[in-house]
Amino acid sequence: MFARGESQLNPPLEGHAGKSLTLSARLRSLRFFRIAAIWEAFLVALGSLRQNKLRTGLTLIGIIVGVTAVIAVVTIIKGLDQTVAQTFSSQGSTVFTVSKRPRVITSREDFIKYNKRKDITEDDAQAIFRLCTACWRTGIAANDGVSVKRGNQKADAVAIRAIAPTAMFDIDAVSIDAGRFWSETEGNSGQEVCVVGSDIITNFFPYETAEQAIGQDVWAGGHRYRIVGVLQPLGKIFGVSRDERIFLPFATYKKDFGLNVARGAFNTSGALVVFVQTQSADQLEAAEDQVRAVMRNRRGKTFKDEDDGFALETEDVFLNLYSSATSNIYIVTIGVAAISLVVGGIVVMNIMLVSVTERTKEIGIRKAVGARRQDIMTQFLIEAVVVTAIGGAFGVLTGFGTAWLIALAIGFPLLFSIWSAVLGVGVSSIVGVISGLWPAWRAARLDPIEALRAE
Amino acid sequence: MTEATIATPPATTSVVANSNLPSADGHRQVLIAMHNLWKTYDMGAEKVHALHGVSFEVRRGEYVAITGPSGSGKSTLMNLIGCLDTPSQGEYWLNGKNVSEMDDDELARIRNQEVGFVFQTFNLLARATALHNVELPLIYGGVPGTKRHEMAKQALTEVDLVDRMMHRPNELSGGQRQRVAIARALVNRPSILLADEPTGALDTATSYEIMNLFEKLHEEGNTIILVTHEHDIAARAHRVISIRDGLIEKDEQIK
Repeated sequence: MFARGESQLNPPLEGHAGKSLTLSARLRSLRFFRIAAIWEAFLVALGSLRQNKLRTGLTLIGIIVGVTAVIAVVTIIKGLDQTVAQTFSSQGSTVFTVSKRPRVITSREDFIKYNKRKDITEDDAQAIFRLCTACWRTGIAANDGVSVKRGNQKADAVAIRAIAPTAMFDIDAVSIDAGRFWSETEGNSGQEVCVVGSDIITNFFPYETAEQAIGQDVWAGGHRYRIVGVLQPLGKIFGVSRDERIFLPFATYKKDFGLNVARGAFNTSGALVVFVQTQSADQLEAAEDQVRAVMRNRRGKTFKDEDDGFALETEDVFLNLYSSATSNIYIVTIGVAAISLVVGGIVVMNIMLVSVTERTKEIGIRKAVGARRQDIMTQFLIEAVVVTAIGGAFGVLTGFGTAWLIALAIGFPLLFSIWSAVLGVGVSSIVGVISGLWPAWRAARLDPIEALRAE
Repeated sequence: MTEATIATPPATTSVVANSNLPSADGHRQVLIAMHNLWKTYDMGAEKVHALHGVSFEVRRGEYVAITGPSGSGKSTLMNLIGCLDTPSQGEYWLNGKNVSEMDDDELARIRNQEVGFVFQTFNLLARATALHNVELPLIYGGVPGTKRHEMAKQALTEVDLVDRMMHRPNELSGGQRQRVAIARALVNRPSILLADEPTGALDTATSYEIMNLFEKLHEEGNTIILVTHEHDIAARAHRVISIRDGLIEKDEQIK
């Protein structure tokens, strides 16, 4: 039944006219991608991977380790970034501060220069409050650290934040959990009251709830304060609590501790900082300009003077500093993690070369029955990509797992993004293509006669 | 019907004189036309001529045995006929196509469409089932799945192995393996069936069985070229071409 159509010995059978088949097959084979051959390559790849379990396993491990490292690093970095961004922008992008010194000082000369500046005073804040029309809320704050005790419980260097007016609570974006904020009258009259973070309750009132702590007293820096409110917890950042602090009315703090007290050259405790909040982010620049004008005027600065005599900063300062400081670290870290991926790629290449050598005969057979160079090339490339993609998928999972464990240990939120998963599988597939290229090319250009002779 | 017009290369038919061809076959289409074929291997300083000027024709439906002692150049000739290699010099027309000037991928296409190989050691894919082995040429020919299946099954039916089509080569006897290989060679309906010592790895009884199968295929109209050094195997063919020292020593019609 295998007669060619024209044979005179056997008439052609219906449906098997050889020439028409040959023609259509020829047309199909002209297509750049032949689905059948690619599917065949895929099945062959799976088959050979299944056949050589140990070899496949070792290759997989090579890739998995690389992808795990990259995914874990990327995930942790994204989590850190997110944490930092949330922390530093809790006041929102509508807040800026006026202070004597910038928060970040990079040289000794600058430090000396900034120290010569005048302190920020309540009068400065008053002037800003009166003259800045673009400003929505204006407040003052001074930070300090004092020892706190209640009964037998004692702690050193608890953060004290003295603020006025009560609108400063809004600027700080804190909210009440139990009790209340102090009233404006209480604040202005310097009453011995305080609002505390949730950790103060945990540490000093271990047997009471927040509600039960209201109306009780704590001793801070040798002064007694009555708790009128407890704040909702803000959580930790890098293991440091943001809830272990006590808010005092500014007038009370000033009366009890004094303002701008020199406690040493590097200590900014008690330094007054003006906080300004605008109603929306687009007003921020206008408000900054107004405040700058008011303050330069008060410091007696002319146009020529380049130094303002004060520091006007948004929270972005921290974020910018953070990202500029960390971006290089990140690149290096990811680079180091990527090296393991390169090693994985070399493992794949090595194993593919072995595979090509082992299957020389098979390549010869395939070539003899009509596989072209690109068919053989595709077959080995697909094999490399299949193993690396599977390794990549596993690596994404273990990478997320590793990141999760580390996050659990350090304590920050995790961001499992679908993109890093896609990235992991994609990058490992690319590694597969690159490391499979040379072995595949070697397989493709094998001489069929030589290859058939191989055993 | 159009094939006949493109099949015969104009030059070769007149040049190649083959007085041994019976007049009864004179009207048959020329499938293989070799004209003054040389194959030279460069062994460093020395040049080895495996073939020096071989010319012959094979017409459709012929059953030809190519014989010769080892080192005679018959393997080289077989590689050329099977389009696994190209000649250093001379022309080779296969089914109307000038194969001697083709590149690797074109040769692969020709092997896929025009040549069906049967090897001494079967050369089946060890991990693949008989069916898949037979499908292999169709896969590279771009034949879609269902049609491929059907054609492969039909080819296996032809060699009486359809009931074992899901077996792997190591689950088959030598004769069965060679039949699978023959089914693979036939599945694409090639112009020529090229068998290289097809019984070399088989016992006498199985050899006999395989040779009977070739006979049957020949009767069905297939063109068969058999490369062998065994005289009794060659004697089963209808025409014997003897090669010695890279030249055709004898070319005789025996049936």
